[in-house]
Amino acid sequence: MSLTTEKAGVSAKESAGSIVNYRPAYLAMAALGTFYVGIRIYEQYFGWKAGLDSFAPEFQTYWLNIMWTELPLEFLAFCAIGGYLWKTRDRNIDAVTPREEMRRLITLIGWLLVYAFTVYWGASYFTEQDGTWHQTVIRDTDFTPSHILEFYLSYPIYIIAGWGAFMYGRTRIPQFANRISLAFLMFFAGPFMIFPNVGLNEWGHTFWFMEELFTAPLHWGFVFFGWFGLAMFGTVLQILGRVIELSKEFEKDVLAI
Amino acid sequence: MSLSNETAPAAGRAWASKEEFIGCVKLTDWILLLILFLVLLGSFHIHYMLLAGDWDFWIDFKDRRMWPTVAPIVAMCFAAAAQSFFWQKFRLPFGATVACFALLVGEWINRYDNFWGWTFFPINLVFPSALIPMGFWLDVVLLLSGSWIVTAVLGGMGWGLLFYPSNWPVLAQFHQATEVDGVLLTLADLIGFNYVRTGTPEYIRMIERGTLRTFGKDVVPVAAFFSGFVSMLVYFLWWKVGGWFSTVKYLENDDV
Repeated sequence: MSLTTEKAGVSAKESAGSIVNYRPAYLAMAALGTFYVGIRIYEQYFGWKAGLDSFAPEFQTYWLNIMWTELPLEFLAFCAIGGYLWKTRDRNIDAVTPREEMRRLITLIGWLLVYAFTVYWGASYFTEQDGTWHQTVIRDTDFTPSHILEFYLSYPIYIIAGWGAFMYGRTRIPQFANRISLAFLMFFAGPFMIFPNVGLNEWGHTFWFMEELFTAPLHWGFVFFGWFGLAMFGTVLQILGRVIELSKEFEKDVLAI
Repeated sequence: MSLSNETAPAAGRAWASKEEFIGCVKLTDWILLLILFLVLLGSFHIHYMLLAGDWDFWIDFKDRRMWPTVAPIVAMCFAAAAQSFFWQKFRLPFGATVACFALLVGEWINRYDNFWGWTFFPINLVFPSALIPMGFWLDVVLLLSGSWIVTAVLGGMGWGLLFYPSNWPVLAQFHQATEVDGVLLTLADLIGFNYVRTGTPEYIRMIERGTLRTFGKDVVPVAAFFSGFVSMLVYFLWWKVGGWFSTVKYLENDDV
């Protein structure tokens, strides 16, 4: 009878070695960072060359084709990550050992690191970039070059990362599996709602696009859902709380650091 | 048969050794701080750019009435929330400064790489507002008083009053008067008119105008005082918001 998990993949070797492994998170961040720098170079060139007139054939070639490719891939990635994590969930989660639970908590922190990294790119880098593009180039479509990379690429990517983090906790860590963390739910669901809010935003922009303020009330839906990023406070506290519970024997040592 | 714990070095315990634990704590603390920093950056930035962005983006929006009113009030939200979390949970007195620093990191990267690098606006037109001195002030008041009420009142007012002086050394040169084709305007206006944007039309640009511009010398102190007043109120609210987002409550699975 398993004392810990029926999930495949937790080998004896893993348990015997160090449980502190952030390398997958570092690799994911390096890959995503490289990817984002690559598309930034792409838009530097093709934004001006082919992104000014949505009725032009080159706009279809260089921009709309990206959108029609990225959206299905993102949907598939979202389903695949959620499906994989659910399919390989721990079916005997209440029997997990403290060491295995700690390893999973550290893996979750790695997921959150990747999520935070993608939130930076989506909410900060590409969102303000969108401001300068639309202050410069009058839009003639909702699917502008900056939108294709902001709304329909960087936002879904952080949603997928947040979804992965949330599902990892829900399927592998007792405190997040047996009940639903309010903070973690808000930390994932709030920024997620920024993406559906694009519907409101673009609907509003169909009324005008010749001149605009970035601070127009139409944009405030993004602000409201962005506030939910602060729910990382509660999420971090819940993780730290459990780490402290599992590390009681070293309480004096950690206070001496 | 167990797949994991029979070969673990310390069965029934989380850590194989004290060294493993200490090493993990040191590394993971930094990673958690990085997570907090990046998410603060993203959330604060999207909040700030969509509530005060136009005044922060452009030198010709950095006027004496709207900019010193709107920018501090909007920035106070995340400064107060970050203080609430770091002070109440960890007694760390750097929440406001970290929040301001995070925002400015995101802004400077963007202004260089995108405003200048992609759409070719000069940095003189698009540099962000300075906020770090205000963050220092708020953190120092909290550290010395140990009271969020005192910080709301003293810190909030100081936050609003400090904004314009903190930015003045950079801004002063752009508020020099100039005359172009018989029209009196500032250098900031002139730069702005040379870089036409979708926010350029005068019925869009929200800056001081009318009689207050005629009686210009009193505009900044009045705007700063008003900004400080609202910042105090915003601090009260957002200290609680920060506390609310620090919740460690759980919902039952059946609740959702």
